[in-house]
Amino acid sequence: MSTPTQETPLTLKALTHKPVHLTGGHRMCSGCGAPTIVRQVLMAIDEPVVIANATGCLEVSTCLFPYTAWQVPWMHSAFENAAATASGIETMYRSLRKQGKLKKEMKFIAFGGDGGTYDIGFQALSGAMERGHQLLYICYDNGAYMNTGIQRSSATPFGADTTTQPVGSKIQGKTQRRKDLTRIMAAHNVAYAAQASPHNWKDLMTKVRKALATNGPAYMGVVSPCNRGWRSQTNDSILLSRLAVDTCYWPLYEVQDGKWTINYDPKDRKKPITEWLKPQGRFKHLFAPGNEALLARFQELVDQDWESLRKLQEMSKS
Amino acid sequence: MPKVLITGNEALAEAAVRAGCRRYFGYPITPQNEIPEFMARRLPEIGGTFIQAESELAAINMVYGAAAVGERAMTSSSSPGISLMQEALSFMAASELPAVIVNMQRGGPGLGNISPSQADYFQAVKGGGHGDYKLLVYAPSTIQEIVDLTVLAFDKADEYRNPVMILGDGVLGQMMEPVELPDITPKTVDKPWALTGAKGRPGKVIRSLFMLPGEDGALERQNYKMKAKYDRMCEHEVLCEMVQTDDAEIVLVAFGTSARIAKTAVHLARVEGIKAGLIRPITLFPFPEKIIAEIAGRAERFLVVEMNLGQMVEDVRLAVNGKAPVAFYGRPGGAVLAVDDILSAIHNCVHGKEPEKIYTGSE
Repeated sequence: MSTPTQETPLTLKALTHKPVHLTGGHRMCSGCGAPTIVRQVLMAIDEPVVIANATGCLEVSTCLFPYTAWQVPWMHSAFENAAATASGIETMYRSLRKQGKLKKEMKFIAFGGDGGTYDIGFQALSGAMERGHQLLYICYDNGAYMNTGIQRSSATPFGADTTTQPVGSKIQGKTQRRKDLTRIMAAHNVAYAAQASPHNWKDLMTKVRKALATNGPAYMGVVSPCNRGWRSQTNDSILLSRLAVDTCYWPLYEVQDGKWTINYDPKDRKKPITEWLKPQGRFKHLFAPGNEALLARFQELVDQDWESLRKLQEMSKS
Repeated sequence: MPKVLITGNEALAEAAVRAGCRRYFGYPITPQNEIPEFMARRLPEIGGTFIQAESELAAINMVYGAAAVGERAMTSSSSPGISLMQEALSFMAASELPAVIVNMQRGGPGLGNISPSQADYFQAVKGGGHGDYKLLVYAPSTIQEIVDLTVLAFDKADEYRNPVMILGDGVLGQMMEPVELPDITPKTVDKPWALTGAKGRPGKVIRSLFMLPGEDGALERQNYKMKAKYDRMCEHEVLCEMVQTDDAEIVLVAFGTSARIAKTAVHLARVEGIKAGLIRPITLFPFPEKIIAEIAGRAERFLVVEMNLGQMVEDVRLAVNGKAPVAFYGRPGGAVLAVDDILSAIHNCVHGKEPEKIYTGSE
């Protein structure tokens, strides 16, 4: 374990004194979830940190050469390679430590969107997790390829309207259910896997610390509202990330040493999925007459996932 | 026939549909996203298949699979995505499978930018993947030509059993021009090699691996067979536009977007009394080397204009073979050429003491 002796307490008072490592002036859209998530992640870490970033909104909008919003070492390679690039950086770090050329404790984080993580970067991610590099991969998941114009991804929710599965006479948005990547990462038996949401910053930052304190690879999926792709209000990002959790579309949970823990269980306050879907234009057609079955199906999928998550928690209780 | 005002990307996609393409596999990348987005809407209307792959690797290998059953299949991408497809393109050329691959080039190398570029010339015409193979490469310079060449590309892919590339760029993909979309009956080609189910007949094999016991020399023979095909392309498929080359003293050579700009520069030079002309290769492989060689016998000098650091200029020099000086003007990294700069390059060539010196523009 490598927990530093003087950890900054996760209180608003203490955190206001921490430098912001992703500065303002970047070109992310107003209301985008990603920079909020990145700031929370970087604020949680006291050690020096190195970032590998997959191609995507976060990468193109925070590093328009010759400018950068990053106040920490940062590297971008190609779309599919963030986990591999981070593996290489972390390997070099371990080698330099072994040679005695580096003394400091450092942390390694890879950021990718759902396109760069669930789809084209999946192979590199799986490889890095299996090899066991000491790095934390964080996916900011906005559920489509927003950077190239809102095309579907394997993280896109069932029924969502995207430019490559558009609502028309043949289909009503995405016909498949989304890939559950957090569970797939847990199935790699990684040291730590978790889901978080920017509305619950304390939970997110605690998870970052837990992930980095483990002696192995870690994965975090973070829901990241995108008003362009979700067709929602720019000031609704935090609300929508909260509703994603309250409806159990995006449960907050963690998997460590085979133990599944749900960090927030709304119990009888669990909201119907329509509360999350309604403010989003990409689901507007689901509320049209004739699509009641699709709406019911969406709720069914959420309920299935939530129930099986509760069972996993129950089964892994010792 | 009425004309429609349409972007190059959409025109290309609609032309592919009219040419009988019913299987499209793609992956988003700027500046060609209009192609997959158009296909996502259009193909389901007519019983076709649109699949968005999880990567360019997957998209091109889906094309590989669809082509193997004899379907007219296509994918499109832009420079970094085309780089990822090179392995499968080599496999498809070796397996002799027809398909159409579109590259709407952007600035490189690396992630580069999303501005138009012509820096993938080498990759397209020299066989971008491993091994001795070629793609038939078309370089349209107008939206109408995108339409016409897309239709031709599917026919030629089937005729030669070889992948065909349409090499455009961000300008051609994004800009709009009025075009005629032809009402055509797609050519149906007999494909006895296609894998259509072996019920009642012996199975067929499509392969690029030639190392089974007892077939010594098979791969060498396969390479010679492919070479014969490429020789036939050189004999029959060269397309080239010539503008005022008959009496030209200085002949510009340019393709695609830079040819449009060069054409204006040639006209302006003529107004000034400079006898300028333009050769515009429409096929980049096969390259119009005989035409260039013939003109080299009478023109005083050549000026090659490209949106890169000098790629096609090498093929022009091989064709000219020392008979006249060949100068180059170009800009890399997604910079679009300006007419005035090409005109300056013409002046430089005509009046300069060192006509072979590379003109680097006025940055």
